[in-house]
Amino acid sequence: MLEIRNVTRAYGHGPSRVLALDGVSLRVEKGEFVAVTGPSGSGKTTLLNVIGGLDGISGGEVFLEGERIDNLSEADLVGVRRKKIAYVFQQYHLVPSLTALENVLLPLTFSSSRNGAHARGTQMLQKVGLSHRAHHKPSELSGGEQQRVAIARALINNCSLVLADEPTGNLDRKTGAGILELFTELNQEGYTLILVTHSPETARLARRIVSMEDGRIVKDTIGA
Amino acid sequence: MRLYQVVAKDALRRRRRVFYTALGVAFGVAVVVALLTVSDAGEEKIAAELDKYGPNLMVTPATENLELQLGDLSLGTLAMGDTYIDDAKLPTVRKIADDAIRESLNIEDEGNIAIVAPKLYAKSRINETTVTVVGIDLEQESLLNSWWMVSNGVYPGGPNEALLGDRAASALDMQPGDTFQIEGREITVSGILDETGANADYQVFIPLQTAQEVFSKEGLVSSVDIRALCLGCPVEVIAAAINQNIAGVRAVAVKQIAESEMNVINKVQDFMLAIAGITLVLGMFGVVNTMMSSVHERTKDIGIMKAVGASPYQIVRLFLYEALIVGVLGGMIGFGAGTALSYAVGPVIFEGAKISYVPEYIGPALGVAVMVALVSSAYPAFRASRIKVAESIRSM
Repeated sequence: MLEIRNVTRAYGHGPSRVLALDGVSLRVEKGEFVAVTGPSGSGKTTLLNVIGGLDGISGGEVFLEGERIDNLSEADLVGVRRKKIAYVFQQYHLVPSLTALENVLLPLTFSSSRNGAHARGTQMLQKVGLSHRAHHKPSELSGGEQQRVAIARALINNCSLVLADEPTGNLDRKTGAGILELFTELNQEGYTLILVTHSPETARLARRIVSMEDGRIVKDTIGA
Repeated sequence: MRLYQVVAKDALRRRRRVFYTALGVAFGVAVVVALLTVSDAGEEKIAAELDKYGPNLMVTPATENLELQLGDLSLGTLAMGDTYIDDAKLPTVRKIADDAIRESLNIEDEGNIAIVAPKLYAKSRINETTVTVVGIDLEQESLLNSWWMVSNGVYPGGPNEALLGDRAASALDMQPGDTFQIEGREITVSGILDETGANADYQVFIPLQTAQEVFSKEGLVSSVDIRALCLGCPVEVIAAAINQNIAGVRAVAVKQIAESEMNVINKVQDFMLAIAGITLVLGMFGVVNTMMSSVHERTKDIGIMKAVGASPYQIVRLFLYEALIVGVLGGMIGFGAGTALSYAVGPVIFEGAKISYVPEYIGPALGVAVMVALVSSAYPAFRASRIKVAESIRSM
């Protein structure tokens, strides 16, 4: 499904040069649920961005479903983002002027697939348990509800790889647990999941835990 | 949901911002609309003022100077031809002038359009003083010389009434109501012409027919002044047509006057358009500025849109659609404000000019506004399309 080989990502130049990723290699199979953990600044978010083609790399190779994506042009990356990768951010990042349903439909607007879009959007909202809030603006939704909308938006393009960066970081424990439960369900449905979290407790939900420190993978354990 | 709906909803949420950006466009458009509207009114006013320069076409008898030669010896010149024009030709002159104007303005008016003012000049002695007596068509002459004022007495109306030039009146020592004799005919002074600074000050005006009778020039006139009462009327075409169709006369377009009239008006308009252009460019900087800060403000939003699949081209479109909204809004505000401004300022610039709003300008106003908004948004849109997703999300 996903393979990165010896990837480095450096920021800045000269003495102020910082290696956010320092020769990272990782292979994720289809259907896996991987948690990436580590302290702040360990490079876990950078790793996620690199995997998703949101950030360039300084060295190494990134393959997604057998296709190399680190050397793609911006125009080609658009296709990858539309068809292969779904993102969930810590800050939800919903468009404030659009309702929950419209936010969910946004990716379809960009990929110009409008056939049956409305029905699919409603279906996705149902999947995350929010069909009753479809016509509310983000400002009228709680944090947990906003994150559910963001997850529905991530899923609507039928991407099989879901990348989540601290999806519960802004939520209280109980709401966060609900979101994590949703992720677990998605994984059981067959979605490949990579979840970045600094919380060991959250990480334990995943079958596989990748620990990072100073831009390197220091531990890669596959649990029971 | 389509892209433009996303933009419309977003613009509605940020309506204050969009409104302020539109004001930047509206400012330039308002100045353009105001300038054009005022100069439209001013043009008529200027044309009316320039009428004071007199006729723009003169018809005189065709005289030819014949060189008299005997061998190599020049014996001087001899003026050949008539010194008067048969006034039976006047209707033809009028018809030619009116037809040319009708054709040029593309109108179907049946009545008289041009002013055709025939004159008969004669030297005469009044009370032992030699004066130039001019027989005039009372009605046409007063139209031709629209600036003539008679504050002492009244403009003559009857066959035996005279209008005296200011200087002529003092030389003759006459007041309205006084009478004098011309070639045995008793004439009453009905009015004294206010000083004009022109030849008229030294002349004595009597009705054309009276002049023809007393000087025994029945059916004859010395010259005809024609004023085509429209801006840019084809005076030269009229002159050529008269020369071609009427024998014995020569029509001359008073070219410099006609041309300088147009020049003045064109210059005024050029100047105003230049100011309008500068204002538009200044307005554009304002729009670029607000658009750029809008890009900065929305860096994160743009990053999100890219993360969920927006292409750089779609990001550009988002901004251009917004520019379209800004342009249309700015164009409408600008047209309204510009028209209001012209009503306020116009009468001050051109005293007494009648300002009327020009609905035809709303199309160009919208067009210019949209163009300005689009051009100003091009660079910000390009910048937005280049935003890197990872960086924009990090910058939240």
